[in-house]
Amino acid sequence: MTEATITPAMLSTAEVARAYREAKAKRAKRAALLKHVFLIVTSLIMIYPLLWMLASSLKPDNQIFGDLGLWPREFQWQNYWAGWNALPVSFTTFFWNSTVVTVLSVIGNVISCSFAAYAFARLEFSGKTIWFALMMMTLMIPYHVVLIPQYLLFLNLGWVDTYLPLIVPRFLAGDAFFIFLMIQFFRQLPRELDEAAMIDGCSPFKIYWAIIMPLSLPAMATAAIFSFIWTWEDFLGPLVYLNDMEDYTVPLALRSFISSDGVSQYGPMFAMSILSILPIILFFVIFQRLIIRGIAMSGLK
Amino acid sequence: MAAVTLSEVRKAYGNVAVIHGIDLAVNSGEFLVLVGPSGCGKSTLLRMIAGLEEITDGTIAIGDRIVNDLPASQRNLSMVFQSYALYPHMSVRKNLAFGLVNLRMPRDEIDRRVAEAARILRIEELLERKPRQLSGGQKQRVAIGRAIVREPQLFLFDEPLSNLDAELRVQMRVELASLYNRLGTTMIYVTHDQVEAMTMATRIVVLNKGRIEQVGTPYELYNAPANLFVATFIGSPKMNVLAGTAAGGRAEIAGLGMLDLPGGISADGQISIGVRPEQVVIGAGDLTVSGTITLVEYLGSEVFLYVRLNSGDTLLVQAPGQSQYKIHDSITLGINSKEAHYFNGMGLRLG
Amino acid sequence: MLRFFRRNFAGYAFLSPWLIGFFLLAIGPILASLYLSFTKYNVVRPPQWIGLDNYFYMFQMDQRFWKALQVTFSFVVISVPLKLIFALGVAMALDKGIRAIGWYRALFYLPSILGGSIAVAILWRQLFNYDGVINSILRLFGGDGPYWLSDPKYSLWTLIVLAIWQFGSPMLIFLAGLRAIPQELYEAAEIDAAGPVRKFFAITVPLLAPVIFFNLVLQMIEAFKSFSGAFIISGGTGAPLDSLLFFTVYLYNEAFSFLRMGYASALAWVLLLIIALFTAIAFWTSKYWVHYENERG
Ligand SMILES: Nc1ncnc2c1ncn2[C@@H]1O[C@H](COP(=O)(O)OP(=O)(O)O)[C@@H](O)[C@H]1O
Ligand SMILES: [Mg+2]
Repeated sequence: MTEATITPAMLSTAEVARAYREAKAKRAKRAALLKHVFLIVTSLIMIYPLLWMLASSLKPDNQIFGDLGLWPREFQWQNYWAGWNALPVSFTTFFWNSTVVTVLSVIGNVISCSFAAYAFARLEFSGKTIWFALMMMTLMIPYHVVLIPQYLLFLNLGWVDTYLPLIVPRFLAGDAFFIFLMIQFFRQLPRELDEAAMIDGCSPFKIYWAIIMPLSLPAMATAAIFSFIWTWEDFLGPLVYLNDMEDYTVPLALRSFISSDGVSQYGPMFAMSILSILPIILFFVIFQRLIIRGIAMSGLK
Repeated sequence: MAAVTLSEVRKAYGNVAVIHGIDLAVNSGEFLVLVGPSGCGKSTLLRMIAGLEEITDGTIAIGDRIVNDLPASQRNLSMVFQSYALYPHMSVRKNLAFGLVNLRMPRDEIDRRVAEAARILRIEELLERKPRQLSGGQKQRVAIGRAIVREPQLFLFDEPLSNLDAELRVQMRVELASLYNRLGTTMIYVTHDQVEAMTMATRIVVLNKGRIEQVGTPYELYNAPANLFVATFIGSPKMNVLAGTAAGGRAEIAGLGMLDLPGGISADGQISIGVRPEQVVIGAGDLTVSGTITLVEYLGSEVFLYVRLNSGDTLLVQAPGQSQYKIHDSITLGINSKEAHYFNGMGLRLG
Repeated sequence: MLRFFRRNFAGYAFLSPWLIGFFLLAIGPILASLYLSFTKYNVVRPPQWIGLDNYFYMFQMDQRFWKALQVTFSFVVISVPLKLIFALGVAMALDKGIRAIGWYRALFYLPSILGGSIAVAILWRQLFNYDGVINSILRLFGGDGPYWLSDPKYSLWTLIVLAIWQFGSPMLIFLAGLRAIPQELYEAAEIDAAGPVRKFFAITVPLLAPVIFFNLVLQMIEAFKSFSGAFIISGGTGAPLDSLLFFTVYLYNEAFSFLRMGYASALAWVLLLIIALFTAIAFWTSKYWVHYENERG
């Protein structure tokens, strides 16, 4: 045993230190509470419009405006039925059209962009840096700048009023964002895997197919999800290329609601709006981890 | 016939040359170790042999076939990587079989080879696991297994043990050596660790800055290093080097005295005299010097003494494990001229 | 020769879909657009070369062009900084392992994903209606809301609010950036008795500068490109009184409502140059305020 004793002075120092620590913890707690209040209020404001739309989709037209409430006094479910058949063509067709365009676009995007990304991330070829720079530059090009010549091209090919102008570009790796996202992911995979596979007798295509693809499922899923969401929401493309209501995708059909001469059909319109974003919300709920990681990883959009 | 022949092999990345004309013949069935400091180009050289890196100039032949333009998979070799490079999404069995399946080998032959490799490496119970469920040593075994199932004519290893902890490294070293004895296949093994090189190699190639410094058996490299670089690189702890001036069969070592050069060594001007720690005698020698102990490293079987000489040089000395030296003790040391190594002003071995 | 072919074959094979797309759908159209911008072209009759006339007309006579520029610039200059400030603020509140961070992150990000949809644009139109939700809320506080949609003084604000509402993706990027700032720096600053404001300006901002820069460039480009919100809310025309005449809306109408493809192409090139110019300015000024960690000196 040592001779050390605890003096009253030391005791009081310890007291002070403890009080200080407690005060600090208390302050931190209060700060955290404030933060939560701020965040909760902000997030309520953020989703209020969506909830309001959901509520309005179930209200009779005369109760929609000026009503801030999120709980309909009476649930008017027939808004959905009415909306579904409100236009000369039923929404069954629009949803089917959107599904066709979206599924094919997603497939095209994932295949063609992963090809390009694989070339940029894993293969050596002359001119690679230049192509890479050009690819990155296309990220900046607004769709509006290429829209007119593309339109004229597709017009000459007789593709206007078909889905080809919306789908074929997706098979040509039209969206550099996805290429970039996949490059970022591929680069994280150790190169020695490719080399081991080369020694194991793999061709570049086999390496892509048997090594890189299976190991990049999260990136592929992320790309597929984003590509789904953007294609599903796409408005300008269908607006330019589709003129026949039979061919409309869901967003174009929705616009017909507001342009169909002022007939007040707000309930049904909101009902269809809700249905139009439902697939996106579902995807988001299911895949939000992948989506959020994808954003952080690629740092884009 | 040589298993692998390199002639005038060069490699440059852009304008930066990293391998400067290597000539080397690897004998059939030998365990050749490429050793050298980090960044000297060992991996690059090995990867050029493997076909993973293009050759800027020169030729590489495996057997009697020039393989400069042959893809890696057709060179009939296997490689074990430092990071193991196991396919993370495949079971151990699939990892082992992958290359064989690519060769369209019959199913039962694949099964036979996988089972055989698993038995040799004692990984039979691991066959259905994924790589992430394996320890470092187990991964290493699987990586070696993947190399041996192909029954190649040449094995390449790139620092395969450097990711393992010290104990496992020693164990795997022994296992690799016994695998070599069992298979008798030509092996080229890259390491920066000279102990690994000395213990496993039948022949060692010492590489420095993209050039070969010396090729020889571990015995030759240790006892007759061709130059100062090899002399100080091989052997642990390092050889002591003293600067001197030679004239008329004698050398004056700055601040310490004169040493008669052994017969057969004639030199004039600047020379370096190298003495391994175990060759410094405690007591008098051909040249006797005195100094003070500045550090004692006790290893049990022996003791290393760092002795500061009056000239300012520090000499590292190996003493028996039982000796009772303490720091600050004065000590007298001797250097015998026959046991020292001599290098000329360019660092090349004399005699 | 053989060696050259083999070395490049695989790379170009995998790149080929992109290469075709690049020439046919990106570079080709950009050059075609340049050519068309020197012509008069209405699709029916072949393009007719008129030299720089489109550009002369644009800069000297076309009031709507200047109006579109003004509207677009106002939108970019107001919405982008507000969005970034908001994104950074929320990201900082979310930083440092707050509870339920996953929920907040998801809720804040959701609008970004829906923001481009027509459904949300339609919703926005109703929210900002004279007797819509926004004005009802203002009335609760005793205010009297304006005619957001039909008063040109206010209409742009509906779109600015819509843009800010989508602060989610810059927020996520900021969050990732904040995570990368070593905690020890804040601790060291605390030992040096730095307050929160000082810590923010002395540590957070400089270390986050590359991320801020990145977000700025990205959001600026996005803002210049934005279309569907303005198109839907203005009923496709840029109304009221062209106060929502975004450059993209003007371009679309010139091309596809009036079939003035030549003139619209000239507008497209101006848009491309503006975006390129802004990006270049951002990059050029960045060396004065963005310091990357791995840079020396
Ligand atoms: N892909 C590359 N591009 C440029 N320089 C490289 C590349 N790979 C290796 N080097 C350089 O070549 C030299 C030799 O590298 P390496 O063979 O990996 O050395 P080590 O002997 O440690 O295995 C090093 O200086 C390294 O920086
Ligand atoms: Mg190496």
